[in-house]
Amino acid sequence: MRHEIKQALIAKLTALADDEVILSHRNSEWTGHGPILEEDIALANIAQDELGHATVWFGLRKELDGSDPDQLAFFRDAGEYRSAELLELPKGDWAFTMLRQFLFDLYETLWLEAAKHSSYQPLADAANKILREERFHLQHTYAWVERLGLGTEESNRRLQEALEFQWGYAQQLFVPTPGEDLLVAEGMVPDLGAIKAQWLEHSSKHLQNSGLKLPINPGYQPTSRTHHTEHLWSILAEMQSTARWDTEAKVW
Amino acid sequence: MDTQWPRWEVFKQDTPHKPHQAVGSVHAADPQHALLTARNIFARRPQAVSMWVVRADDIFSRTKEELAADPVNMESEKTAALRPYVVFRKTSHRRSMTFVDYVGEVSARSPEEALKQARAKFTDVEALAWWIVPADRLTKSDPSNETIESWFAPAKEKTYKQQQYYATVGSHVSKHKTGREDTDEA
Repeated sequence: MRHEIKQALIAKLTALADDEVILSHRNSEWTGHGPILEEDIALANIAQDELGHATVWFGLRKELDGSDPDQLAFFRDAGEYRSAELLELPKGDWAFTMLRQFLFDLYETLWLEAAKHSSYQPLADAANKILREERFHLQHTYAWVERLGLGTEESNRRLQEALEFQWGYAQQLFVPTPGEDLLVAEGMVPDLGAIKAQWLEHSSKHLQNSGLKLPINPGYQPTSRTHHTEHLWSILAEMQSTARWDTEAKVW
Repeated sequence: MDTQWPRWEVFKQDTPHKPHQAVGSVHAADPQHALLTARNIFARRPQAVSMWVVRADDIFSRTKEELAADPVNMESEKTAALRPYVVFRKTSHRRSMTFVDYVGEVSARSPEEALKQARAKFTDVEALAWWIVPADRLTKSDPSNETIESWFAPAKEKTYKQQQYYATVGSHVSKHKTGREDTDEA
């Protein structure tokens, strides 16, 4: 594999993994605080699945550069993370969390559907595997957007507020990582432009059918994954503290 | 005001040739929501190929003791139309979970009449309890391969699939004694 291809692939896999790690940890903050026991358990499941996906992406990176997934997750500082800002935002209320999960699940499902055809076989295999769970996640959050949007005046208002806040942030999911154009040219990853068009079509349709108005002003749209919200520092401080305090953690 | 969502009983089918079995209940706003939460709670790790849910209020149930004390009266609804009912039966106290298994369907004018038919039709084993459900009140998971792959196949690769596995992951504190800890204890 050519050096610049390999570097670009490492950058892409890191971004994919970091999105999953941060979203997973954000969702885990609901554990014990869900609106009802059944949904508490459901979201904990989703959080574990997303962390499992991160393990898959870090595993593919390890094959390329020998990096240790635990080191990457627990011993990198915020400045070295390549997560999208949408996933760093505090969990907010249930509407905020469900909307973010819906916007992300839809993006991830569409991306994985296309990535199944990657010319890089390990990535094609991983996409096939992850897609199964992701389809179920999407059904769950799709249902929640519909029920909150068409539920009560208050649930609609909360979801609409979440949408206005998140819509611009969500666009960052479609900003290529450094060297991604090389990977697209090699057929290794899908073209984000095409994924974005599908995402806009599907998300707009479902949001509008759920009684929501698409924001006229898209608001702040992050562009570089080297920039982060201030929230990334605090979430990592919490997530990494145990690993950094006792690196062996053999005894429990 | 009662703000609880209604309760739904959940039936899980482990393999295509086994009956659906009652595994527990969930609270949910509607049938599809009940199926989604039921999948998370009862089939994340355990084996499954299909799930059904029905509102607890739609189940007509009688235990063996109830039937002995008060035989069901079926005279009331002779004029109603025939409709299909799904019959579930509990036959054992031995299992740790109180499985109530699907046994078949009958056509009747009322739940009471359906129960009478079920008692005459399904006689191979003594029933400890009967659950009678109008067939159109059952909501079933999508039987397509795509849904089975998405909802149930990932369970096969999960760790901690059964409680007995818990003890095999990790190890006891005594296996990790270090010099420092030994000193602390001395």
